[in-house]
Amino acid sequence: MTPVELVAPATETEALEELARGPAGSRAIVAGGTDLLFDLQGARPGPTHLVSLRRLPWRTHAWEAGGLRVGATEPLRTLEADPRLGQELPALAQAIAAVGSPALRRQATLGGNLGRSAPASDLAPALLALDAEVELVGRAGARRMSVDRFLRSSRSTALLAGELVRSVRLPEARPRSAYLWQRVRPANDISQIGLAVAFAPSPGLWRVALGGVPPRPVLAPDAARELAGDRPAAREIASAAERLAAHPALVSDRRATEEHRRRLAAVLCTRAIRTAVGEPRDPP
Amino acid sequence: MSATAPIVTVNGRPVSLREVPGDERLLDTLRWRLGLRGTKEGCRSGECGACTVLVDGAARLSCLSLSRDLEGTTVTTVEAVGDDPLGRTVQEAFAEEGALQCGYCTPGFVMALTGALRERGRSATSAELTADLAGNLCRCTGYASIVRAVERARSRSR
Ligand SMILES: Cc1cc2nc3c(=O)[nH]c(=O)nc-3n(C[C@H](O)[C@H](O)[C@H](O)COP(=O)(O)OP(=O)(O)OC[C@H]3O[C@@H](n4cnc5c(N)ncnc54)[C@H](O)[C@@H]3O)c2cc1C
Ligand code: FES
Ligand code: FES
Repeated sequence: MTPVELVAPATETEALEELARGPAGSRAIVAGGTDLLFDLQGARPGPTHLVSLRRLPWRTHAWEAGGLRVGATEPLRTLEADPRLGQELPALAQAIAAVGSPALRRQATLGGNLGRSAPASDLAPALLALDAEVELVGRAGARRMSVDRFLRSSRSTALLAGELVRSVRLPEARPRSAYLWQRVRPANDISQIGLAVAFAPSPGLWRVALGGVPPRPVLAPDAARELAGDRPAAREIASAAERLAAHPALVSDRRATEEHRRRLAAVLCTRAIRTAVGEPRDPP
Repeated sequence: MSATAPIVTVNGRPVSLREVPGDERLLDTLRWRLGLRGTKEGCRSGECGACTVLVDGAARLSCLSLSRDLEGTTVTTVEAVGDDPLGRTVQEAFAEEGALQCGYCTPGFVMALTGALRERGRSATSAELTADLAGNLCRCTGYASIVRAVERARSRSR
C-alpha cells in the first residue's frame, strides 16, 4: 500500500487544483482534523491525499460593517478569546464554549464544523439563529448562501465536489441572543438538544433554532412568531416554549427519548429567551 | 511540497518528517517512531486528554493531530516539560499533592495545566484553570487532589 500523502497548498488556487486531481474520493480536506481523523479510521478505501488547509490565509476573523466575518480555518479557541464575541454575538460565544474541550477547540474550526454537518452540532443552531451566511469557493468561482440552505443532512451539505468553505459571515451584532444545551457531561459529550435564540433588531423579529435533532439543526419559525419586540412578555415566552415543544424534529434516539427532548425544548426555550434579554434564566 | 526536508522540533531536537506517512498521528510518531512513551493513548478519539502535548507552547491533543501537518512547529512532551520552570512547578505540584494513583492520566494533566498557565498568565484564576482541564479524564483520584495541585501550581507560578 502506498502511504497517504499530506499536501499543504499555500494558496486558494493551489488548494482548489489539488482537490480536482485524482479520482473522486481520493482527496480529503483537513482543517483541524478533529472530525476527519475519526472518520478516516473506518474509511475503506480511504483517501490517497490529505489536503491540509493550514497554510491558507483563512485563519482570521474581522469585525466589519456591524457584522463579523470568520475565516473557515480560524480555530474556535481564537474566536472565543475575542471579548467582542460575547458582547455582540453571545449565542455564538456560548455555542463555541460548548464544543468539546479547550484543547479540542484550539484545533477545531467553524469551516470543519459546517463541513461535517452533524445533527448535534452546537455551532449550527447558533449560526441559524444569527442568520449566518457561508461563502464557498470552487474552481468556477465563489458563491454565498445562508447556513440554512447550506446544511442538508448528516454529513451532507450544499458543497460541490472540489469546493471549500472560505468564510462565514454574521451580518450584524445580536447582543440579545443565547445558546443553551443539555447533555450528560459538560465537556466532550454530544448535546441531546441545543437551543439558540436571537433578536434581530432591524426587522424586530426573533429567531429560534434547534440542534441535536436529525437530520440537521433547524429553524423553528412557529415558536419565533410568538415573540414580539425586544422584551417578550412572559405569556409570549410560554407560547413560544409550547410551540417549540411540539416541533416535529424532536424525536427519540439513543441519546434521549422524544418525551425528554420535548420537555427540554420547552425549558431551554424559556431560559434562553430570558438569558438573551438579561433576566434571571428561571422566572421567580 | 517544500524543497527542504519537512521538520518538526520535538523536545528541542529536530525530527525529519520525510518518512512519516501523511495520515500518521503525532501520538504514534511520538510513542512508536521516537520512543517517547510518556505521552499516553487513552481513547484515541479526543475524549480523554491522556495524549495532551504542547505545540508551540499550547496544549493540543496528539491523537487528533497529524504529524505532517505540524511541520515547522515545536512539540514538547512530558519527557521534557520539566526542563522549563513552569512545567517543573506543575510536576512538583502534582507530586506534592499526591494528585495521582495509577498515573496514566498524569502526563496529559501536566501538559494541559502547563499550557493553560502559560496561556492565561499571572491573572489566571483556579476556576479558569480547572475549566481548562475539562477535557482531561482521571478514573482514579476523584479529582479533588488534582484540583489542589492546580491551586498549588497556580500560587507557585505567580
Ligand atoms: C472529542 C470530541 C468532542 C467534540 N465535541 C463537539 C461538540 O461538543 N459540539 C460540536 O458541535 N462538535 C463537537 N465535535 C466535533 C468537531 O470537533 C467539530 O465539528 C469541529 O468544529 C470540526 O472542525 P475541524 O476543523 O476539526 O474539522 P475537520 O475534522 O478538519 O473537518 C471536518 C469535515 O469538514 C471538511 N472540511 C473542513 N474544513 C472545510 C472547509 N473549509 N471547506 C469544506 N470542507 C471542510 C473535512 O473534509 C471533513 O470532512 C467534537 C469532536 C470530538 C473529537
Ligand atoms: S488519547 Fe487523545 S484524547 Fe484520549
Ligand atoms: S491516576 Fe489513574 S487515571 Fe488518573
